[in-house]
Amino acid sequence: MTECSAVSESMPLLLTESLDAARREVTHQHIESCGICSDEWNAYKETWAVMADLPEVAVPARVKAQFLERAGLAPVETELPKNVVPFHKRTAFKWIAQAAAVALLVGGGYFVGDRQKPDFVTPATATLATGNDSIRPISTSLAETRVLDADALSPVIEGRPNISNIQFVDADAADEKIAVSFDVTSHWTVNGNPRDKSMVRLLSYMLENEAEMTPRSNTLEWVRQTYSDPQYADPEIANALAKVLRNDSHEGVRIRAVDTLTTLPPTVGLQARDALIEALKSDPNPAVRIKAVEALANMARNGETLDPMMVDTLRQKASQDDENLYVRVKAAEALSNIKP
Amino acid sequence: MKHLSDQDLMRIVQAGDYSPASEIYDRYSGRIYNFAFRFLKNAEAAEDATQEVFVKMLRHANQFHGDAKLSTWLFSITANWCRDYLRKADNKSKESEDVLVTLPASAEYSPDRTLEQRENEQRVRRALATLTPEQREAILLSRYQGLSYAEIAQVAGCSEGAVKTRVFRAMETLKKTLAVVGGREDARRVAPLEAANRGAS
Repeated sequence: MTECSAVSESMPLLLTESLDAARREVTHQHIESCGICSDEWNAYKETWAVMADLPEVAVPARVKAQFLERAGLAPVETELPKNVVPFHKRTAFKWIAQAAAVALLVGGGYFVGDRQKPDFVTPATATLATGNDSIRPISTSLAETRVLDADALSPVIEGRPNISNIQFVDADAADEKIAVSFDVTSHWTVNGNPRDKSMVRLLSYMLENEAEMTPRSNTLEWVRQTYSDPQYADPEIANALAKVLRNDSHEGVRIRAVDTLTTLPPTVGLQARDALIEALKSDPNPAVRIKAVEALANMARNGETLDPMMVDTLRQKASQDDENLYVRVKAAEALSNIKP
Repeated sequence: MKHLSDQDLMRIVQAGDYSPASEIYDRYSGRIYNFAFRFLKNAEAAEDATQEVFVKMLRHANQFHGDAKLSTWLFSITANWCRDYLRKADNKSKESEDVLVTLPASAEYSPDRTLEQRENEQRVRRALATLTPEQREAILLSRYQGLSYAEIAQVAGCSEGAVKTRVFRAMETLKKTLAVVGGREDARRVAPLEAANRGAS
């Protein structure tokens, strides 16, 4: 090994100050006396400095909340302002409160179980209602899991019921049915064909309203798997995805929405294309714009017709000086692939 | 809790009391998340990694013997999680796809970051993406987390010599990819060409 190559191999160690004093001295002396190694050393230092351009990213607050929840720890209590008097539990009341809670549960359970009315869910602020009165009445009691066919569910979801703990099940791939289970005031499972309007609306609602990012992402994945099949093509699903792309606060979810839109069958392609163009025009995150322009470039490459508005947007993006360079290159590529 | 050392906090956890979990999380979550995010190039996966690392820290607290730094032990768990993630075939394909797309908005749109800084950031991300996972792991721990080669060897489960080789090869690749020949101006001049080539290909 020549002295230069030995010195070159020591340069990363020199940068991280991992060389012992004697070797550091020898290496520096060689660098000062050798033009090639001096240039090499400057390049190392510059590369090391350029790497500092990668900023630290803040951890989203939800990660800590989720971790503490999984660890069985309550979120950290904040210190009360000095002008707030803390309320201390009185031990004697604890037993009275527990007795009252038991009485309420027993009485409430009996009352609810005794009614035998048609199925409905009434959360505090909204209603997820069944479609008609002729459905099979299901006895209800507290903490019961209820199973319902999608056609028994009103296709209109009123208000904003708080749906959580969503899970998707396809127990039998051959039976053309899927199932969605979730919690409203109790645990529900809705079975139905992906073509059922009620199922479409329920999934659309979940896409747009689920508060947590991971279930939204999972719903997108489920929708991608199910509705990429041409037999289930539904413009309402395309519209719901377009809304996610337009409104979701998490760029990862918006990116996944682009991915899902691009897999939809051509029969609902118009809604998908409009949403992609809108994202390319106005999404604040370049990563989402990149995804959108890549999708449009692929469409152009595959010979799909792009309308004049889309072509205008691509032209505008290709020549927009302050746009991300990759978006500009991809927009130009899409334009060059458009068939006359 | 704030005045207690890492070792003291872990002793409490080892005794079955999880109350220091929040304090340990506050001390290390930023470093863990940033390492995972830069390693995996995927914000969602980095969130999952961060959560899993701290859950594992609690579950396997007794495996921490106090002879290494807590940070080194946590980075070992993180690196293992990230390697497993990359090993899964579907995640691998997603990884290459996500190189350019999972940039967190907070850093990207911070008003005090200039366009030039953002472009440099993109270039560094792309350059890091060209490294092998082993090289990327070594350079991230060395450059951004300030771990010594001995600590990196412990995290990566290899010899110190192997770490030196990985860092050297990583730096050689980065030097070429970032094209720093005569200073930062040269590097910036070649960047649009790189991007155009990438787009054309």
